[in-house]
Amino acid sequence: MEWVYGNLQVILDGLMTGALYALIGMGMALIFGVMRIVNFAHGAFLMMGMYVTFVLYDRLHLSPYIGFLVAGGLLFVFGFLTYLLVLRPLPGQESFMVILVTMGLSLILVDASQLIFGADYHQINIPLQSTNIHLGPHIAMNAPWLVSFGIAIAMGSAMYWFVMHTMFGRAARAVAQNRYSAPLMGINVNRVQAMAFGMGAAAAGIAGALLLPLLYVFPEVGNQYRLKSFVMVVLGGMGSIQGAAMAGLVLGVVESLTSYYWGNEWAPVVDFVIFILVLSFRPSGIFGSQRA
Amino acid sequence: MSGRKAQLIFSLAVVGLGLLVPIVIRTDYMLNIVFRVFLFAGLGLAWNWVGGYSGQLSLGHAAYFGLGAYGLAMFTNRGVPMWISVLLAVLAALLFAGIIGKVSFRLRGPYFALCTIAFAEVLRLTAKNLPNVTGGDVGIQVPLLFPHATQLSFYYSAVLLTVLGIGITYWLEKSKFGYYLMAIREDEDTALSVGVNTANQKLYALLLSAAITALGGALYGSLFLYIVPDQVLPLEISTELAIVAMLGGAGTLAGPIVGALILETASEVFKNFFKEANMLIYGVLIIVVVLFLPGGIVGTLKLKETPQKLDSESGRVTVDE
Amino acid sequence: MPLLQIKNVSKRFGGLRAVNDVSFGVERGEMTFMVGPNGAGKTTLFNLITGVFPIDSGTIIFDGQDISRITPDKAAKLGIGRTFQIMKPLRNLTVLENVMLGAFLHTSSSKVAERESAATLRFLQMEKVMHLPARGMGLPMLKRLEIARALATKPKLILLDEVVAGLPTSEALKLADLLKRLSEWGIAAVGGVEHVMPVVMKLADRVVVLDHGSKIAEGKPQDVVRLPEVIEAYLGPKYKEIIQ
Repeated sequence: MEWVYGNLQVILDGLMTGALYALIGMGMALIFGVMRIVNFAHGAFLMMGMYVTFVLYDRLHLSPYIGFLVAGGLLFVFGFLTYLLVLRPLPGQESFMVILVTMGLSLILVDASQLIFGADYHQINIPLQSTNIHLGPHIAMNAPWLVSFGIAIAMGSAMYWFVMHTMFGRAARAVAQNRYSAPLMGINVNRVQAMAFGMGAAAAGIAGALLLPLLYVFPEVGNQYRLKSFVMVVLGGMGSIQGAAMAGLVLGVVESLTSYYWGNEWAPVVDFVIFILVLSFRPSGIFGSQRA
Repeated sequence: MSGRKAQLIFSLAVVGLGLLVPIVIRTDYMLNIVFRVFLFAGLGLAWNWVGGYSGQLSLGHAAYFGLGAYGLAMFTNRGVPMWISVLLAVLAALLFAGIIGKVSFRLRGPYFALCTIAFAEVLRLTAKNLPNVTGGDVGIQVPLLFPHATQLSFYYSAVLLTVLGIGITYWLEKSKFGYYLMAIREDEDTALSVGVNTANQKLYALLLSAAITALGGALYGSLFLYIVPDQVLPLEISTELAIVAMLGGAGTLAGPIVGALILETASEVFKNFFKEANMLIYGVLIIVVVLFLPGGIVGTLKLKETPQKLDSESGRVTVDE
Repeated sequence: MPLLQIKNVSKRFGGLRAVNDVSFGVERGEMTFMVGPNGAGKTTLFNLITGVFPIDSGTIIFDGQDISRITPDKAAKLGIGRTFQIMKPLRNLTVLENVMLGAFLHTSSSKVAERESAATLRFLQMEKVMHLPARGMGLPMLKRLEIARALATKPKLILLDEVVAGLPTSEALKLADLLKRLSEWGIAAVGGVEHVMPVVMKLADRVVVLDHGSKIAEGKPQDVVRLPEVIEAYLGPKYKEIIQ
């Protein structure tokens, strides 16, 4: 019986991590779906969200559970402007060019953070961190994880609702399906794309904010998430937001199980192996429905 | 001035100057910089066959670089004679190139680049996670390829690598293989329709590229005598190889040489001048190159020189777009 | 035995029957035209013959070999040349270099490829633009470039997809005169054409009429053109009554 509970704990932990991954992945899926942009700066956006929330907590004692909204807002604006100023001018938006430009952007953002905040690891200490919620004698969940999990689910659902049920969402999906005929329906493609990019950045920023009570913040903290976000987009299929969310949860659980049985260091490897396998055998993704 | 012969003369002139450099430059520090210039020129030329001429923009070439370095280290540590180890390292790189190519070349657009990144990352992380095999994060010792007059020998080897790259590129540009690669770059369906087995051709280009890259990796590893995964297998190395070729001009002969000259010396200047902000400047450089010089320096020069002629049949002036 | 034999070939894309149980044959040195409105299945048939898509059912036999499951590059090696309706010149190479690509199918020497390509271009009266980059070419030249590249592969059969579409009639007729020479060299040809009937009348040995994926008529051009089914397919049922 111990065995079952052990695994259950691992899976639950994985689901909680997975929810945060899902949020990051959804942001990436939105960006990739609408614009076919492989955003290598996604991890940097997460990092920025983390630092913004950190500063708010450090200076203003603002709880990250409120601060995440500020982070999201700021990252939305930042993403919006980045798209308009840096990405739109790219001739033809050829994917390789986009990868390099966003990579360059990532370098700039990470280095700037290092200049501003230093290379040290920072963390915050909120009172909630010492609370553990117990489900029976064998399962324990750390409260901050639970709160972040809840907010991530809420934000992810809000994002999904937004894309499915608002004018913007419909416009975004139209652009995703056919960039060239969308303007014929009165859609301002540039604005939709900038907004989509902003939303994607905001999602990453919020995820970063939610991770602040859970991890250390340092300039390169986002790097591990950028490649992970692509894995989710591919697994989820062609820019499908729901698909990426599912993929995030799956990745969280798979990583958690991998860490439990083989050690932490193999978790990212499993991510990439899954990625390669999916690309080899089911490039349209496991969870994605049609083309987004 | 940017025709094929002109580029060859320029490249050989750079090599010639390079051969004379040790007369003027004596400090190890400076020699190291010119070593990097020629090493990355050679590696950039190799990347160019896949990324420039074939249009398959690989961001996972660090895999072959690292396999070269680690191959040399690991085989020698198990008692294999040094230069045989180099050969085996190259073979290992070819093996991986075959696998990576078979899987990746079926993918189009960004998926190809992402797949190459994934493979390189798997190698890097595996190297970190198997300390008994690879030394893990602690690292592994690499044998010294040239026990005598070391710095100079390494330097000349790098120059030799560049010469090899130049030679292969020059031959490639006018050969059937080169034409096939360029056709694949321009339009794969058209290439198929005239009988080109595009999958095979892309693979051959990758195998050639991987072999030279692995040689460069072995050289690099040997110079440092000690390597860790994050030194020879990270995304940063893959990016550097691509940027070197793209900055100078992907798909041109002199491009990677120009790119290496500028990038490697600029990097050094950045590190000393800007210190902590050097990565930031590097990032700006990447963005500037991609946004304003998509054909690279040589590519942009070529474009400005294409003659404008009147097409007598259709009455259209041939204008550069 | 016909050079190319298409037997009961069908192809569906989802719910759409692009090609429906089509059969016909092409003799050596003969020029056959597939005629039909847009969407009739001409380009799909070309894609099926060259293996761009797999066929759902039926067989395709070329020069005695079953090529039902072939890939495009193998089709070219067997002697099927092809032009594309949406032209894809290799824009950054010169016209000559574009054609050399086809020539390389039978040689490994750049010199030989260059020589043969130049000859092909001379046949198509394109000497003047040989060394210009392909990206600056106008439509008539691009159409000829497609043909030149396919001819350079020394095909036994050449598939000409809408090769005169969009050309002014004078150009089209000029090109038709050149294409007439193909049968002199024993090259069979299948053309896919939507309009431009003057060219069809001038060149075709036989005509196959397609409508919504099915073959509705086959025969000599002057006969086929008068058939009521053909008129109905092109102009609609109303006109059939009027003409009758």
